[in-house]
Amino acid sequence: MNAIEIRDLSKQFGSKQAVNNLNMTVPEGAIYGFIGENGSGKSTTEKMICGLLVPNDGSIRLFGKDYRDDTTRSKIGVLIEAPGCFPNLSVWNNMMIQAANLDIKNPEREIAKVLKTVRMEGAASNKFKNCSLGMKQRIGIAMALLGRPRLLVLDEPINGLDADGMRIMREVLTDVTQKHDCTVLISSHILGELEKIATHYGIIRGGRMIAQMTAKQLEDSCRTYIALRVKEKDKARRLLTSAYAQVKEDESDAIRVYDDAMPEEIVSLLYDNSVIVSEIKKAKVGLEEYYTDLMAEREERRA
Amino acid sequence: MQGKALLRFESPTLTQRMRSMLGVDFYRLFHTPMYYIFLTIAAIIPAMVVSMAGMGGPDGMAQAAPLYTNMWNIIAADTPLYVVRDIGDYANMNMVFIFGGIMVSIFIGHDYRSGYVKQLFTTHAKKLDYMLSKSIVCAFAMACMCGTYLLGGMAGGILAGLDMDVNVGSLLIALLGKAVMSLGWASLYTFINVVLRRYFGVSITLSFILGTGIPIIGAAAILGNTPALNVFLYGASVYACLSSNIFTLLVCVVISCLWAVACNALGTLVLSRSDVY
Repeated sequence: MNAIEIRDLSKQFGSKQAVNNLNMTVPEGAIYGFIGENGSGKSTTEKMICGLLVPNDGSIRLFGKDYRDDTTRSKIGVLIEAPGCFPNLSVWNNMMIQAANLDIKNPEREIAKVLKTVRMEGAASNKFKNCSLGMKQRIGIAMALLGRPRLLVLDEPINGLDADGMRIMREVLTDVTQKHDCTVLISSHILGELEKIATHYGIIRGGRMIAQMTAKQLEDSCRTYIALRVKEKDKARRLLTSAYAQVKEDESDAIRVYDDAMPEEIVSLLYDNSVIVSEIKKAKVGLEEYYTDLMAEREERRA
Repeated sequence: MQGKALLRFESPTLTQRMRSMLGVDFYRLFHTPMYYIFLTIAAIIPAMVVSMAGMGGPDGMAQAAPLYTNMWNIIAADTPLYVVRDIGDYANMNMVFIFGGIMVSIFIGHDYRSGYVKQLFTTHAKKLDYMLSKSIVCAFAMACMCGTYLLGGMAGGILAGLDMDVNVGSLLIALLGKAVMSLGWASLYTFINVVLRRYFGVSITLSFILGTGIPIIGAAAILGNTPALNVFLYGASVYACLSSNIFTLLVCVVISCLWAVACNALGTLVLSRSDVY
């Protein structure tokens, strides 16, 4: 059974088509990285899945049931944008309110557990308005974890988190999927972080799903390249450009050769022309680069 | 290998859902300073109106004619007065519904501003639960305001030395009638604030205008003192006066309940068919 199954979903705000015939399948137990540029329709889709927005067309099924079915809602943990908490109440009381809304038995124990999971047990008595952005995000995640959900819908949950917060988030999401059969739908612009945990990806653009794949499929479809560092960079680049079709410089000043070249060939070529290679490695493009390439390709097609 | 946990979908009953939602809403009501501020305002206003209306002017000027000779007129008029001639005819316990309108707007507005509704409607909570819970809690708050209004009015009346003669039975029915009307008013305000949730300024203004009874007073100026106006919340609230009998209470119960049912049904429909957040 799929945790989320969306068919031909559309949503319009006035004259703006936010989501356009979107299809999406999130298998149970997956960590689904939902990627797209600002305004591409990620949050709108997530809000529709959670029942906060009413679609104009299409269907959403959660665990085989219609998304409007209230019983499925008790199995969904949500963090959309920021947690909906009362600023003048303490973190604990805000959690108690959500626990009451979820009709959780023994809420104190459950709240203490989720706050401990996100390492926020020390901030329980703080007023919500006095918490930092990172703390608020962690509280939001704790709130989403209340009631042992089977589906987590997280919209930009990594925003505002420090390195420790991101690590905790990775641990929590991996833990809930592996030990508690939870499915996670997570959108984020921090693709490097997403790449570490996601098992599936969906890329949305202009309200349409342009690619869906597993992490394995992504890895297989990612190009390999050879990155090298040399002292005489200009000369090396000239030589490599004449021999290979795709040669680029990356942000760390290394030269990348994307053709299916062997490192030995490149080293020999440069050595024969008196260029000494100080570092060379074979690697694959990451999610970020794959995404950028895909977007550029789409842009070219449109042009 | 660890087996997959069985996925069970539980369907809480209306009673279970309402119990938890009412618990949250009452908790919020009792923990918000706004509620106590409105209770205080509801007590101060009648005390001020009663005690100041008969005071002497500055430098020994002649004393103004008192608004009331009977203390209980600050609670309700002797007979249903839809046509208002002076402030004495207007100033009575119905003013509580003006404060109530503002309070409900702030209460519901806070739900949306804080993002609480977003958190709420992603649980098993239904739109009907939200409407009912808000209507009940706000009706309770308004009924409490009626209580503090009564205390304030009595304190002012005693200080002003006003006559206290009254038919106790009619007074009790009038008080009960106005308290019962709180449910209808609270439902109407909840409906208005749900429909106009994105326009806080408009919803609070509309609640205030309806709470003052201006449309009904205007209609009464044209139609005269007709009981037909009792079909409206303000009309039925005015009907609960110091000459009330059991029929008055019946009218208040029926009108209040009808408005509550209509407003909650319409509010649920609007919430179900439109974007929550």
